[in-house]
Amino acid sequence: MPNTPRAAPRSAGASALASAPAEASAAAGRGRFRTFHAFRTRTGRRPPLVLLVPACVAALFALLPLGYLAVRALERGPGYAWDVVADARTLHLLGRSLGLTAVVVAASLVLGISLAWLTVRTALPGARAWSVLATLPLAVPSYVAAFAWLSAEPSVAGFGGAALALTLVSFPYVHLPVAAALRGIDPAQEEASRSLGHGPSATFLRVTLPQLRPAAAGGGLLVALYVLSDFGAVSLMRYDTFTRAIHTSYRASFDRTPAAALSVVLVVMTVALVAAETRTRGRAGHARTGTGTARPAVPLPLGRYRPLALLWCGAVAAVAVVFPLGTLAYWLTAGSSAAWDLGGLADTAWATLGVAAAGAALTTVLALPVGVIAARHRGRGARLLEQAAYAGHALPGITVALSLVFFAVRYAYPLYQQLPLLVCAYAVLFLPVAVAATRAAVLQAPPVLEDVARSLGRRPWQVLREVTVPLAAPGVAAGAALTFVVCMKELPATLLLRPTGMDTLATRLWTETGAGSFAAAAPYAAALILLAAVPSYLLGRHRT
Amino acid sequence: MRRPLAGRITALVAAGLLLPALAACGSDDDGSSQGKGGDSALVIYSGRNEKLVKPLLDKLEKAVGTKVEVRYGDSAELAAQLLEEGERTKAGLFFSQDAGALGSLSKEGMLAKLPQTHLDKVDKAYRSGDGDWVGTSGRVRVIAYHPDKVAEGEVPDSVHDVVKPEWKDKVGFAPTNASFQAFVTGMRVLEGDDATRKWLKALKDNGAKTYAHNLATLDAVESGEVSLGLINHYYWYERVAEKGEEKVGAKLHFLPGKDPGALINVAGVGILTNAGQSEAAQKAVDFLLSKEAQTYFADETKEYPLAAGVTSTVEGLPPFDSLESPDIDLGKLESLQETLAMLQDVGLV
Amino acid sequence: MTDTNELHVEGLTKSYGDGDPVVLRGLDLTVPTGALAAVLGPSGCGKTTLLRIVAGFLRADAGTVRLGNRVVGGPGVHVPPERRRIGIVPQEGALFPHLSVGHNVTFGLKGVDRPERRRRAEEMLELVGLAGYGDRMPHELSGGQQQRVALARALAPRPQLVLLDEPFNALDSALRAGVRADVRTALRATGATAVLVTHDQQEALSTADLVAVVRDGRVAQCDTPQDLYRRPADPWVAGFVGDAVLLPGTVDTDGTVRTALGTVPLRALPEGNPRTGTVLLRPEQLRLTGPTAQGAVRGTVTDVCFYGHDAMVTVAVDGHAAPVGIRVAGPLRVRPGEETGVRVLGEGTLHRDGCEPTAL
Repeated sequence: MPNTPRAAPRSAGASALASAPAEASAAAGRGRFRTFHAFRTRTGRRPPLVLLVPACVAALFALLPLGYLAVRALERGPGYAWDVVADARTLHLLGRSLGLTAVVVAASLVLGISLAWLTVRTALPGARAWSVLATLPLAVPSYVAAFAWLSAEPSVAGFGGAALALTLVSFPYVHLPVAAALRGIDPAQEEASRSLGHGPSATFLRVTLPQLRPAAAGGGLLVALYVLSDFGAVSLMRYDTFTRAIHTSYRASFDRTPAAALSVVLVVMTVALVAAETRTRGRAGHARTGTGTARPAVPLPLGRYRPLALLWCGAVAAVAVVFPLGTLAYWLTAGSSAAWDLGGLADTAWATLGVAAAGAALTTVLALPVGVIAARHRGRGARLLEQAAYAGHALPGITVALSLVFFAVRYAYPLYQQLPLLVCAYAVLFLPVAVAATRAAVLQAPPVLEDVARSLGRRPWQVLREVTVPLAAPGVAAGAALTFVVCMKELPATLLLRPTGMDTLATRLWTETGAGSFAAAAPYAAALILLAAVPSYLLGRHRT
Repeated sequence: MRRPLAGRITALVAAGLLLPALAACGSDDDGSSQGKGGDSALVIYSGRNEKLVKPLLDKLEKAVGTKVEVRYGDSAELAAQLLEEGERTKAGLFFSQDAGALGSLSKEGMLAKLPQTHLDKVDKAYRSGDGDWVGTSGRVRVIAYHPDKVAEGEVPDSVHDVVKPEWKDKVGFAPTNASFQAFVTGMRVLEGDDATRKWLKALKDNGAKTYAHNLATLDAVESGEVSLGLINHYYWYERVAEKGEEKVGAKLHFLPGKDPGALINVAGVGILTNAGQSEAAQKAVDFLLSKEAQTYFADETKEYPLAAGVTSTVEGLPPFDSLESPDIDLGKLESLQETLAMLQDVGLV
Repeated sequence: MTDTNELHVEGLTKSYGDGDPVVLRGLDLTVPTGALAAVLGPSGCGKTTLLRIVAGFLRADAGTVRLGNRVVGGPGVHVPPERRRIGIVPQEGALFPHLSVGHNVTFGLKGVDRPERRRRAEEMLELVGLAGYGDRMPHELSGGQQQRVALARALAPRPQLVLLDEPFNALDSALRAGVRADVRTALRATGATAVLVTHDQQEALSTADLVAVVRDGRVAQCDTPQDLYRRPADPWVAGFVGDAVLLPGTVDTDGTVRTALGTVPLRALPEGNPRTGTVLLRPEQLRLTGPTAQGAVRGTVTDVCFYGHDAMVTVAVDGHAAPVGIRVAGPLRVRPGEETGVRVLGEGTLHRDGCEPTAL
């Protein structure tokens, strides 16, 4: 029985459960159960300054767009802003946005959880390869997916097309954390359920699924915010959403005030969604599933369902990965505007890698203290910090970009239209992605290790450096890879904030499609997807 | 077994992040030194697509004689950016895809008055009434049609006809496209809000299909998804240049009789007051109105030249003089707010 | 080394927030230098909270913690954990999975050069019986070995005090006794004061020099294991530290007490000379006799539990509602349903009625 700390770390909840029978003879005190386990739940400890200060900096950073929105929305007085927001159309668009969000989140949960379960828990042939394939759609920008579908079947335009394109690029946000959580669930629990007379599906629904809830909710939140903030797919699919209304407001009226007022509504929605996600965590949030188990789970034989499972995985991979790549291949070989500029392509690809890497690095560094506090500390302050990181995530890129324009020309003029500012924009946009990954990674490391390090003479920052970060490193790195991918795909903020003359694959793609030369755009799209596929592939292989 | 793998992946990711990031920082230094040394450089914000105008702007750099830095983007987003930058903008010149974006800057007083000599090169109809921007090339709204579905003689001569029952479900247009919105604004100016609203409602009720942009509309006409498409003329000519006319499954119809559907809109330039680059910027405007640039617009972007006496030589393109477009002050197209509200009311955007 | 490593805790009070129940209510505890004290109590009694306050991970609402001559926690004083010189051995060891055993052990050594670190690691590993394991990784060790490494790690920086948080819980019972004894030996060898938190009374009694029974946020009794067992402060403590036979009794003038099991001599009279009270006896003080033996009361065997080294026989005695437990060493001659006699050996303790603690 190799009972290693790495294998053993269990959540507060789980260890409480495990020790309960042992202490049952000593009876008593169920009501004080929670306080008794304060040791693990870390009640009542304030985060050390070494975390708190940088976390506050990160949170303030993420709140910059909100400050800008407040200035702009109230420019003509609250009355005007209210008139814009109180329009009947606002409610209508809100409904449409939320409807799309709900459908995409639900579909992503179905895809993400089913694939995670099939690849982690069953004897699916080629499980590892499927697992990687289920991560690769991350590399596909939503506008490329939407374009691929539209060019193949123009009639998908509208709600269905938008939901389809968005689901197929965002379900890995659910798949990744759920697969990690599934690997951490002790198979003994499922065996216990089976022995108690529940079949595989009942066991999945009653034992496994509830434990996946925090992971699935976290992934679902990222999907929801992604959908709310997306402009590329919905505009190509001509499905009217809030984001599209904000863009239209900029585009057609050259007026920033109504756009800002509408953006505030998006922020309110974000806060509501984040709060809802925090609620689903509940106690389970800290009763996270462990890193590994003493014993690897025996893969569930699929039996006669095997062809069906393979068909399902194959179908998802076909529509989410093969199809967009196939469309690009078609464009690569069609049309006369395909004048291949390999040198330019390589330069652009290199620049894209650089700026995305810098973005991922800064985002990860900023996310680290927030993620650690979110994982290790409870209470309103910790919650606020984490929620602040999410606040601007549902805002369309153009709004975030304009807010940085606003602040940079006033307070950081030397940085304006320089690379560092663009990198900062990525950090503001994608902080939640990295925070979520960091938080999950830190939760994997048992907090008692930090106590031990303190008792052995380490100061809080030394504990962070020598214990928490090394233990969370693989998960943090996974978060960095994910951030890297989303930075590579980013378009609206890049357009506004890039140094004059600089191009990324995404802006190049925009330029070429804007000129109507899809064949010339295809190499950039292909390069973007292939480059983003590398970290996605690593993510798919990464076993938290 | 797991740790080494995890460690390797971590190391790989770290290396993968650090290497290009360092490279980026390195190149950033180059960029900033360029920026600082480039006081004399002319910065152009171009809402016109790089693919269309980069060769021209390369020539412009030679003509102006100073270094030129071009920032490409969407006209409206660049306008929003310029408004946000205010007096601290680095842009000396704004090269816009349409008059509306220029109008919004003009309204905020961010554009400098142009020398009369420049203004006079262009017909009054295609420049700012306040003299702070000038059109550089023109495009005309046309109806594209699928020749197998519509005989040449049956194509409507007025946008008022496309809302008739015979075209039910057969018309395509791009409601979010700036040119379409400019056309609607033009219609409002010409025929009044009530008539325009009625027309938009009729268009919607007639099952007209909406597309993301003019190109998508043209695609739909080519594929026969719709029979008619309301677009700008040059999209068709560009496609013909790319694929050859016989391969393009759509034809164009120019509307006669000063129909609002035959609106001519322009791409234009304005000089930013505060960037301190007005000398270079004026040279640039000069160049854009020169014979060389005007010929470029005619030949390469298939637009109508507006100055220097250049006429388009594109095959099949009706002469500019022959266009029967409505008389309208393009300066009045700058505020699209009401148009937008109307489109929203009707439910088209 | 400081001359005194005494741990002195006084008046600790702690609750986790408004509306939450109070966890510690004025807890006092003194552990002399070099002693191993067990803090024994049921779930929720506050023992883990006490440990976390002593270690410095929590601040008490009131009260002081003194280690040797230093006040490490108290009004206006809070020495952070890393400066307290208090080692902890958590449940399940909690070794750093990313460090080798050797590096785990030397983790707490600061300002020590490399050869000295290596020497110290070897010394510590030898102390816990794991010499030569320094290059292994934690997951290559068994649970018991991990626990020993955790102790070596805690002892390596020569702490004044070592806190052990139910360290033997995760071990199976066969392993537990051995590890327990080794831990005790190692602690003795270093002379560090130690506090062992546990809910297992056997563990507390067999390992510790001193046992503090915590109930409801206070120390109900702190004594040597023997005194605690023989002279519990009240019936609750008596029941918590071992099997107890509790009988109502009436005090006679000669210092004996009459019970359902006959007349029992008392160790001491409780304060206030009560006339009646509850008499505590231990099951091993009772002997089975023949049903009619002299000086014995009659009863019927209701149950027999065999443990190997001894057995517990439950007997329903006439005149007493609850059956009494009798520990029987050696061969068993009774079976359930048989008649038997019961006789009391040695003295009992008398506890006043009405002073039983409220049920937890």
